[in-house]
Amino acid sequence: MTVLELDDASIKFGGLIAVNKVSFQVNEGQIFGLIGPNGAGKTTCFNLITGVYKPTSGSITFLGKSLSDVHTDKIAGLGIARTFQNIRLFSSLSVVENVMVGGLLRRKSSLPSALIYLPSSVTDTAQIRHRALELLEVLDLTDVADVRSKDLPYGKQRRLEIARALATDPKLLLLDEPAAGMNPNEKVDLMNTVKRLRDDFGKTILVIEHDMKFVMNLCENISVLDHGEKIAEGLPQEVRSNPKVISAYLGESTN
Amino acid sequence: MTTGESAITPQTGGFVPKLNLGMFFGVRTVSILATVLFCVGIDFFSGPQFMSRYAAGLIFLCGTYVALSVSLNLINGITGQFSIGHFAFFQIGAYTAAGCSKAFYATMHLPTLEWLVLMAIAGSITAAIAGFVVGLPSLRLRGDYLAIVTLGFGEIIRIATENITYLGGSKGIDITPHYQSIALIMLLAVGCIALSRNLLKTAFGLGFLAVREDEVAAVAMGVNVTRIKVLAFIIGSAFAGAAGALYAHKYGFIIPDQFKMDGSFIVLTMVILGGTGSVTGSILAAIILTLLPELLRDLHNVSFGGLIATALMVLVATFGIKRVIDTHFDLLKMKWLSALGVLAACVIGEIIIKMLLDLFPHVRTHAPIDGAQLRMVIYAATLVIVMLLRPQGMFAHHEFSWTWVKKVLHSKTAVKS
Repeated sequence: MTVLELDDASIKFGGLIAVNKVSFQVNEGQIFGLIGPNGAGKTTCFNLITGVYKPTSGSITFLGKSLSDVHTDKIAGLGIARTFQNIRLFSSLSVVENVMVGGLLRRKSSLPSALIYLPSSVTDTAQIRHRALELLEVLDLTDVADVRSKDLPYGKQRRLEIARALATDPKLLLLDEPAAGMNPNEKVDLMNTVKRLRDDFGKTILVIEHDMKFVMNLCENISVLDHGEKIAEGLPQEVRSNPKVISAYLGESTN
Repeated sequence: MTTGESAITPQTGGFVPKLNLGMFFGVRTVSILATVLFCVGIDFFSGPQFMSRYAAGLIFLCGTYVALSVSLNLINGITGQFSIGHFAFFQIGAYTAAGCSKAFYATMHLPTLEWLVLMAIAGSITAAIAGFVVGLPSLRLRGDYLAIVTLGFGEIIRIATENITYLGGSKGIDITPHYQSIALIMLLAVGCIALSRNLLKTAFGLGFLAVREDEVAAVAMGVNVTRIKVLAFIIGSAFAGAAGALYAHKYGFIIPDQFKMDGSFIVLTMVILGGTGSVTGSILAAIILTLLPELLRDLHNVSFGGLIATALMVLVATFGIKRVIDTHFDLLKMKWLSALGVLAACVIGEIIIKMLLDLFPHVRTHAPIDGAQLRMVIYAATLVIVMLLRPQGMFAHHEFSWTWVKKVLHSKTAVKS
């Protein structure tokens, strides 16, 4: 089943075409890689999917529903969650509170009940907290649950972003350079975690990453962007030997 | 894998927290009764048989400023919307009460207290509407830009009232039930505190904090940022409006000049001094900053020389302690000891300077300035000193609670050992 489909999606910023007629499909349970040199339009693609920008032409559908009229803060409710390339945690909140913000989306109590402190809001808070702690266990962050998130080491901050995104109960998880700045050991751990999210929990995952080894080992399907256009798609080994991809990354030979 | 699976599959509902409802409502009822008792008690003990009208007025002012700073803390500290026009909502509440009293009080024959409650509600409603109007641009503006809009809004309200003749214009307006209700202002302050506390205790408050921390990430997590910002403005301004209505009736006369923007800045100072986001910090800062200029009126008896000596020594102590804080010591105990050392040195220095000055009686008796005239200078200097020593505010992001005290004490002993 197709979870996410981009059909000729384009966006222009003034005269610059940041994403030009990009189409790809992400199927359920897939780990899909989106790669390309710097400035290729990968993160812009993510911003299109999550409604930060609206496509100037083309369409994006999620589980058969067009995303073009959906406001940014409703995207998470539909089942798409993302992490950010430059970490965007709620830095002075604790680790568990960060994840609870994600869980807030699935709350059952209302604001008035919270303001006058009704039992429903108290039990609701306890449930959200409990679930956040479970997610921290999945991502191996239990021991730092009460640490302020800005005091965490870099690798853990990246994992916390994933935990926070998972708290919104997404069907599709968008990871924007999750391995950036990690050491080789952390990368292996992260790869196993991402695989586990798919294998054990059935998440569909779309990942942007620069680390080729990481992408080739993790993804089943890869799309390559360059200058806003899709230049290749296929299995990792196909993409790796594609001459267009090689020239995009290494440049053409002059002779 | 069991825990993990239940965490990731949506709405398993595997965990149902148990809440002892009898206990829960019992504690709630007791705490609400205690609050009401506290408010009525303060009202009773501030009667003329116990203290002067001046002292009772100070208690009323403390209540007003606590309500103002805690409500601004909701907008500014918790939701992170930099508003510097809080006095505008205060003024709107005050003028609503003034206008309604002028129009209806004579014909409606309501008892004073009931009328005050009614006016507080009316003031909070008009202020909440104004808060909604100001909240709207906050959806598009951030930081300094929003600050300028709120500043402009405050000026618009003040200048508008100066030109409405029905409300007395720039000459001010008399308000008929001239009555000071300490019980009501205390209830309002406590209500505002309770609301902020409830919000921060439940998961909902995290949505507000998330907007303060990172708007883009909050939106991506499905937090309805629009709704939260507007709500913060509405709730915060409603409390300021109610406080304004009670304030207007306490003095029986208001004039637009009372609501100049320096008032907004004083409330903002309280929030920042207490530590942005900290409710208990805002309360404490509001009380201190209300009482400080009043207490400094007693400086008549202090000699000029003494004042100079003290100022000098406070300055030395400030930078000395700042130095100590900045220096890296392995032991916290050392920091405390050196800070105390600086203080002791300053006290000795003060005594020596005073003794030297006493050698010149001419200076002492013909002091050009009376100590009390310097009270606002001292007030301002105090702010500068606190901000130098502790830029994050007295409580920073923390709340005062016994668990917090325990934690702090514990960490100190841990460092010592």
